[in-house]
Amino acid sequence: MKRRNFLKFSAAAGLTPKKCLLPFASDLFSFSNESNLSNVEARYYKKLPDREIECHLCPRFCKLGDKERGYCGVRENRGGIYYTLVYGKACAVHVDPIEKKPLFHFLPKTTALSIATAGCNVNCKFCQNWEISQVRPEQITHIDLPPESVVTTAEKNNCPSIAYTYSEPVVFFEYMYDTSLEARRRGIKNVVITGAHVNPEPFKDLLEVVDGVKIDLKAFNQDFYTKYVRGKLQPVLDAIVIASKSHVWLEIVYLVIPTLNDTVSEIHKMCRWIKNEIGPDIPLHFSRFYPYYLMKNLPPTPISTLEKLRNTALEDGLNYVYIGNIPAHEAENTYCPHCGEIIVNRTGYLIGKINIKNGRCVFCGHEIPGFWT
Amino acid sequence: MSKVIVIRTKNIYNSNEEVNSEKINNLYKRGFHLLTGFKDSKNSIKALLTTEKKTGIKINTIGGRSLSTRPKVSLSLADYLIEGGFQEKDILIWDRTNRELRDADYSLNMNLRGIKIFGTDSNTIGYDNSLTVHRSIGSRFSSIQSGIISQSISLAILKDHGLAGITAGMKNYFGSIHNPNKYHDSNCNPFVADLFDTTAIREKHKLTVIDALTVQFHKGPAYHSLWAENYGGLIISTDPVAADYIGWQVIEELRKKHGLPSLKEENREPLYIKTAEELGLGSADPANINIIKEEI
Repeated sequence: MKRRNFLKFSAAAGLTPKKCLLPFASDLFSFSNESNLSNVEARYYKKLPDREIECHLCPRFCKLGDKERGYCGVRENRGGIYYTLVYGKACAVHVDPIEKKPLFHFLPKTTALSIATAGCNVNCKFCQNWEISQVRPEQITHIDLPPESVVTTAEKNNCPSIAYTYSEPVVFFEYMYDTSLEARRRGIKNVVITGAHVNPEPFKDLLEVVDGVKIDLKAFNQDFYTKYVRGKLQPVLDAIVIASKSHVWLEIVYLVIPTLNDTVSEIHKMCRWIKNEIGPDIPLHFSRFYPYYLMKNLPPTPISTLEKLRNTALEDGLNYVYIGNIPAHEAENTYCPHCGEIIVNRTGYLIGKINIKNGRCVFCGHEIPGFWT
Repeated sequence: MSKVIVIRTKNIYNSNEEVNSEKINNLYKRGFHLLTGFKDSKNSIKALLTTEKKTGIKINTIGGRSLSTRPKVSLSLADYLIEGGFQEKDILIWDRTNRELRDADYSLNMNLRGIKIFGTDSNTIGYDNSLTVHRSIGSRFSSIQSGIISQSISLAILKDHGLAGITAGMKNYFGSIHNPNKYHDSNCNPFVADLFDTTAIREKHKLTVIDALTVQFHKGPAYHSLWAENYGGLIISTDPVAADYIGWQVIEELRKKHGLPSLKEENREPLYIKTAEELGLGSADPANINIIKEEI
């Protein structure tokens, strides 16, 4: 199914997000008043002599002189003090099904208030949200939405969770962290949708205040990360291991791009690593690529490729392997690894009956890992 | 053979640290004379530019009042263009944002009459909606660079740069795209060269003028008075690569004079200059550069 048809299909099936509170900035490409950017001091940086600083938030360790910004474009050195420019400056606010993140084992059939600011600390050539992730905050429209207001908005829209998503939440760490604290205080969960190009210290701190993390593992080799992501693989793998050892729920998404990261051998290698380091029960989503941004020269991923890779992962012993971006594919469902029955039935973002009770398959009683209520 | 003019004067600043108008005017006059062989402004400008075309003077104002292209330097150049046959309405002095321009003491002007001075973030200007994709570059261009102007002058400040090695004429065009922060890896190489190689720049760029009145030779690009030298010079060339190469050598000379290691020793040699030469954008080989140095 082509992307256009997929979107038509989704709309016809009522699968589009329930509510858009602020359109994507790409529709509104215009300038925000620069003076309207935030000037909250950033966390995780080191002051150096001569008004220079070194950012310790992500593995880039940007070393910046006065008036310079980091690679992310949203953190700026002003006179030797490092500031986040996007604290409370949301450029996208939507109410989305949690399955859109995708998180399949986390409060299924609920919605997440989903927010983003401008900026990203990598530059994936296939980014689907580059209009907000690859711009500076003053280049797009945003609204003032401080942490308390984010939580209030979630409450008003009956969202049991808040998702930090769309761009790269690592770069709006302070905003995400403070919002998560407030949300937790008011009984709302927090989920982070991230590429996890982040240093261990801030990531561990973040995991203390959130409930779920979806990590995009974009390939299983450094060459791909160098050429197409402009980042490093090892910190992402480290973050996956850290998250798996924490209390938070973790799922992994792997975007399959034809000819670039779609070999069976690479998937074998990755699945063995996942099984050994984390275990067989972590959900793994193989997601379909659509040509976009700087990668328009490749076709959408063939469905047969996704199915082949899913079979590879299942053969390697992973229990919950999904296919994404292909609505109504049978691999959207959750199957009990013990009895084989469908325990969560999905068609796009329409969720059917959930055959899980007290965290166990209703058919055979097998324990199904996840965050179900 | 590329020609690069390094024209200098003593006491370029008045006692109040303002640029001396007469001296900067004389630097331009003599500099263009040496570059083109024509003493009069009309012929020298005619040798370099088409006076009927809307012309952008891309300045660098990120350094605030202390280390930006000073208004007197850019306005003096504009005056020389007008003397050479341009209409003032066809000249646009510009940079990324109006805030940075104001901070560097520019008075904005978007009126139809007069020399225009404004930033890309002005109302109705902005960045292109479509991406320009070329080699390692994927960026939205300022509509000033891609649409409004037909020919371009890079009037850059010469600075040491902690990541790029140096910033001069070519890197100045980082201010013409929406995402320069994405191009500072690996000493900005090959990004500076690849950006310059895009149609919007390569086909419009006609002249490099590097403001070396004050040169930040260490700890740049921010201003640090301890490592800023009153050099009193302009570097002028139609070869953007040769101009930057000579700018780099000026920085190295000043670093040596002050007992600092070379940029190579600090692992931040501006290799993008060599890459630009390999792309055919100009010469980075001293054997192919005719350097004319003069002090007036």
